[in-house]
Amino acid sequence: MAIDRRHVGYAFPTFKVTVEPDRLAAFARAIGERDPVYSERIAPLTFMKVLEGEHGSSRKILEVLGVPLARVLHAEQQFDYVAPVLAGQVVTVSRSVVDLYEKKGGAIEFIVIESVFTGEGAEVLGRSRQLVAVRNPSPEARP
Amino acid sequence: MTVDLVVAPIGAVVAERAFDALTREDLARYAMASGDTNPLHLDPAFARRAGFPDVIVHGMLTMALLGRLVTESFPARRVLGFSARFGAPLGVGEAVTCRARLGGRDARGTALELEAAAGDRVVLSGRALLAPDATHG
Repeated sequence: MAIDRRHVGYAFPTFKVTVEPDRLAAFARAIGERDPVYSERIAPLTFMKVLEGEHGSSRKILEVLGVPLARVLHAEQQFDYVAPVLAGQVVTVSRSVVDLYEKKGGAIEFIVIESVFTGEGAEVLGRSRQLVAVRNPSPEARP
Repeated sequence: MTVDLVVAPIGAVVAERAFDALTREDLARYAMASGDTNPLHLDPAFARRAGFPDVIVHGMLTMALLGRLVTESFPARRVLGFSARFGAPLGVGEAVTCRARLGGRDARGTALELEAAAGDRVVLSGRALLAPDATHG
């Protein structure tokens, strides 16, 4: 069940998401963050993952690639920060599949998804790079 | 526990914190707040079908705890980068300790080597890059 390599370069339609203060506060509560700086004003370090997941984009990218959710694991995550993401800000998110490769003779495939976050003046706020591992059944176990 | 980054030797543990075990309610709250409703973190039957004994903690939630360790321990430093490798699953109900070691200092900033461990099993290893200290150049 190899993922078609022609999906490298696939770009999810760019979308805008508002950093709603209520949502920021709920996220801060969910990670146990009590510093009001990170629940009221500045998004915590991992909040860009929430922004990029808007519109079910992560699941939709997997659907486009034909990968069942039950086989995926989040293997690695990287964030680069240029400017803080602030409560109330409108952020534009551009996501794309930048690489696909396999290890162990295809038993594990890897999907690399990058996101670029920009502010209202098109200034870059940060970037995210996610490595998703897809565990494939062994050939003899395949139907 | 926090140590001054300017004087600490390379390799020294500069921040460490033990977090309470995450409960099913914690995972449900994180799923709601983050939008990551993958049943691997919520539905024990789904998790078993995927080969795990029970639901596992969102890797991003463990990463968020490490992020808190960094921002709470070094509030004066701007974070330029933060990365994680999710090496092993963390099960619901397992307590985790987050730790930062000084990785290096140069003109770009201060690098921290990060890990989250359940007992002696490392579930997440990562790095953070902090901007140079304005007061120390």
